[in-house]
Amino acid sequence: MSKPINYTDKCSRVSNAFYNAGLEKAQIRDLTGACRCLKRSLAFDKYNTNARNLLGLIYYEIGETAEALVQWVISSNLQQEHNRATYYIHEVQGKPGRLEDESVHIRRYNQALMQAQNDNPDLAILQLGRVVDHKPNFVKAHMLLALLYIGREDYAKAGKSLYKVLQIDKNNPRALWYMSFVKSHTGRADVEKRKLKNAFSHHQMQDDDIILPPSYKENTGWQMVLQIAAGLALGAAVIFFLVMPAREEQLNDSHNRELNDVLELVNQESIQIAGLQTALADMETERDAAVTDLQAIVDENGGVLSQYQQLVHILRAYKADDFPTAVELYTELDPEAIEDEGMQTVIAEIRRDMEERGYQVLADLGNQARDAGDADRALGYYQKSLAVKPDNPQVIYDMAMVYHGREEEDQANELFGQVIMNYPDTELAAKAKDARGY
Amino acid sequence: MINFEEELSHFKPSLEVEEVEDAIMDSDLTDMADIMMNLIKEGSKNKKSDE
Repeated sequence: MSKPINYTDKCSRVSNAFYNAGLEKAQIRDLTGACRCLKRSLAFDKYNTNARNLLGLIYYEIGETAEALVQWVISSNLQQEHNRATYYIHEVQGKPGRLEDESVHIRRYNQALMQAQNDNPDLAILQLGRVVDHKPNFVKAHMLLALLYIGREDYAKAGKSLYKVLQIDKNNPRALWYMSFVKSHTGRADVEKRKLKNAFSHHQMQDDDIILPPSYKENTGWQMVLQIAAGLALGAAVIFFLVMPAREEQLNDSHNRELNDVLELVNQESIQIAGLQTALADMETERDAAVTDLQAIVDENGGVLSQYQQLVHILRAYKADDFPTAVELYTELDPEAIEDEGMQTVIAEIRRDMEERGYQVLADLGNQARDAGDADRALGYYQKSLAVKPDNPQVIYDMAMVYHGREEEDQANELFGQVIMNYPDTELAAKAKDARGY
Repeated sequence: MINFEEELSHFKPSLEVEEVEDAIMDSDLTDMADIMMNLIKEGSKNKKSDE
């Protein structure tokens, strides 16, 4: 009976040894190696609860929640008391919706795998992108996504996925292999090789050797482009903030000077225009005065020219010995309009003759018209006669009588009144009184 | 050089949560101690039959 007990103890000791190795690997995040050791540990002793629980934890860490649950459930069945697996199961199943979410993401990964294996990598990439967004520690999903990106030769994205995998599981052999492949296609492998060579070189330093600081980074093509773009942007900013304001100010000064010159020129022109306008106004005033004078000269009714014509007609009537016509024309003459001294002498002689003889001719013409029953014409002649010689009571009386005959008593009485007032002791005054009914 | 098709074929579906129960039932929990015990039992049985 002692032999089986010894074998069991030996198996238990080997199992513990593998568990310890697995634990060490798990502590340095070599999860693949740890997983391998723990499986071996359980192969030697299925009751090694620590090994099984740790295996479950590692499964959970790499996103295999169902696998983790399998290990923890078996563990809790094999050791029902004082088992940490019970806590793990409670943690996973206790929070509402958590297990359902895990289930959805795992199912989505399986669908993506099927799509990828059925030549539909684009859909698979979409699905896997959603899976790793919600479940960033799902190593399998990252690995498949990286492989699909490698298949599309999108090495940068593949590198990102692999980097995440290696953060979770540092020694994942497949991820390391993929990563080396990706680096060889992005040029990153050469850079790292140079760094390693520099880091571990032991050659004698020469005077012209340069020690690169740890912060120094090798420029890739994109970095160079970015640095050039940043330099251009900085240059543009310097031009915009330093050079442009000075240039703008210079241009503004120049424009202001030009504007001032133009404004001064405009002012001078405005002054000249104002002077010209004043001169124009003066000229227009003078023109209007000249036009008025000219109008006065050529005006038919009382114009200077017409008065000269009238004078010529009077002289012509004298020459024809037609005194009555000369008298009538004289009544329409305006002697004041004729300023010529020679003509004034002639006009004075005519006026003297008219005052001596002409008024009586007009009065006779008035009497003839009155007798002919033409009262209007008679009154016209009487007025002309009075114009030649106002001091003539007979004509005033005759006019009053014409008005009286036309029953225009106001005018008649006024004229009768003049006779009575101005010539009181005459026969005509007595007649006037009689006419007015005194 | 990575053979894409071959690599893709290495990927297996992940165990779904609904399959946990079946996975537990199908688990082979035989360990080295069980194998050794069986071997010892068979060995002692053979010894008895030889006697």
